[in-house]
Amino acid sequence: MSSQVAAYWYVFLKGVGITLWISWLALILGGAVGLVIGLLRIAPWAAVRWAAIVYIEVFRSVPPLVLFFGCFYGLSYAMKLDLSPFSAATIALTLTASALMAEVVRAGIESVTRGQWEAALSQGMTYPQVFRYVVWPQAIRVMLPPSVGVYISTLKDSSLASIIGYVELTKSGLLVRESTGISFEVLLIIAILYFVINYSISLVGAALERRFKYVH
Amino acid sequence: MSTDPASPVLRIEGLVKRYGPHLVIDGVDLDVTAGQVVVFVGPSGTGKSTLLRCVNGLEDIQGGRILFEGQPVLSRSSAIHAVRRRIGMIFQSFNLYPHLTALQNVTLAPVKVLGEPSKEVEERARGLFRKVRLEHRAHAFPSQLSGGEQQRVAIARALAMNPHLLMFDEPTSALDPETVGDVLAVMEDLAREGRTMLVVTHEIGFARHVGDRMIFMDGGKIVEDRPPEEMIANPENPRTRQFLGSILHH
Repeated sequence: MSSQVAAYWYVFLKGVGITLWISWLALILGGAVGLVIGLLRIAPWAAVRWAAIVYIEVFRSVPPLVLFFGCFYGLSYAMKLDLSPFSAATIALTLTASALMAEVVRAGIESVTRGQWEAALSQGMTYPQVFRYVVWPQAIRVMLPPSVGVYISTLKDSSLASIIGYVELTKSGLLVRESTGISFEVLLIIAILYFVINYSISLVGAALERRFKYVH
Repeated sequence: MSTDPASPVLRIEGLVKRYGPHLVIDGVDLDVTAGQVVVFVGPSGTGKSTLLRCVNGLEDIQGGRILFEGQPVLSRSSAIHAVRRRIGMIFQSFNLYPHLTALQNVTLAPVKVLGEPSKEVEERARGLFRKVRLEHRAHAFPSQLSGGEQQRVAIARALAMNPHLLMFDEPTSALDPETVGDVLAVMEDLAREGRTMLVVTHEIGFARHVGDRMIFMDGGKIVEDRPPEEMIANPENPRTRQFLGSILHH
């Protein structure tokens, strides 16, 4: 690595930190919203189910880039909000992540067989008790692997926040490229950093999955 | 069990159950008094399992009524939870909670639903594991147990709630032949304790030795309701005769 680029190590490091922070935040918010939407998606009322389906289909179909622009310019204009790039990027990432997580939640809950519900109900449990003690602990094991996938794709989508001027890892690299005039090396570093982050997440996910197995 | 012998534990009057246009139970009347072991037999699809599922409100009903210990069973009312706590149900496919150990399967509902102290419940659970002859398997997960062992854990799980009625929905139909005997032996012990039991089964031997009443159902109706010995030796209805003939001589 040329010393010229190496001198900017702290810029890359800060970019990594910000990328981790915003994607983590989006995953937490997206997980919470996704849980609610996922539950509504299997609610006993058709109107509620349809609203959830519309939400899911819209936000997982619209490209993240369009959502970034939509949140940054569109929301600011339509709602007279002065959204910072950070807020706009967080909202955009959360919308996509929540739509994906809603489907993960639905699949997780539906993976628990009817017999489990019936066994628990026949012991006198209420629906919330069945959910909490019997269904959720089983669903979460099914949800874990695809959740890791959602996190990785959210983290990669966060690079698009550079387009609205949010200085995360990609934007940091692009700024270094501008000041040094060195392209290939900088882009290679960015790519390697993304790989290291995402591969680490995969490893942690795999470790969690092993821990969550029923029998050790 | 300590119920007034004059009033039945379970009373079913004119029960009707439909799935869409399909009539599954067609006007069933039945009284079960404390301590009775009632065995249901009949061709599959004649409403025996559905009948059990109506008794604890897993199915809603379209006509008639069900009284358990004098209280109406209404599948959509909030009182249904209290009814289910007093009725233990054992399923054909066991339905143990796979994320919990055998012991935790047994202790979960008494602790979380009845709010009993976990120390006491665990103590009681250990006794139940002895009763179903599985004291050495308490810490195994369901996936590590044979079908017969899983079904005996399921029986212990039902007993842990101190139910006033036990319902067995084809408890041995999903088992390997060599483990059927262990489950039936446990069920026989329970019958000898004087427990009130409804059993849907094809095990005619069990019905003969353990049952107080044998009920033959066909087409959603009770066709014959008599002591097992009598019904097996001398079935009155031609359909009963035909059915018993087919399963006794296969």
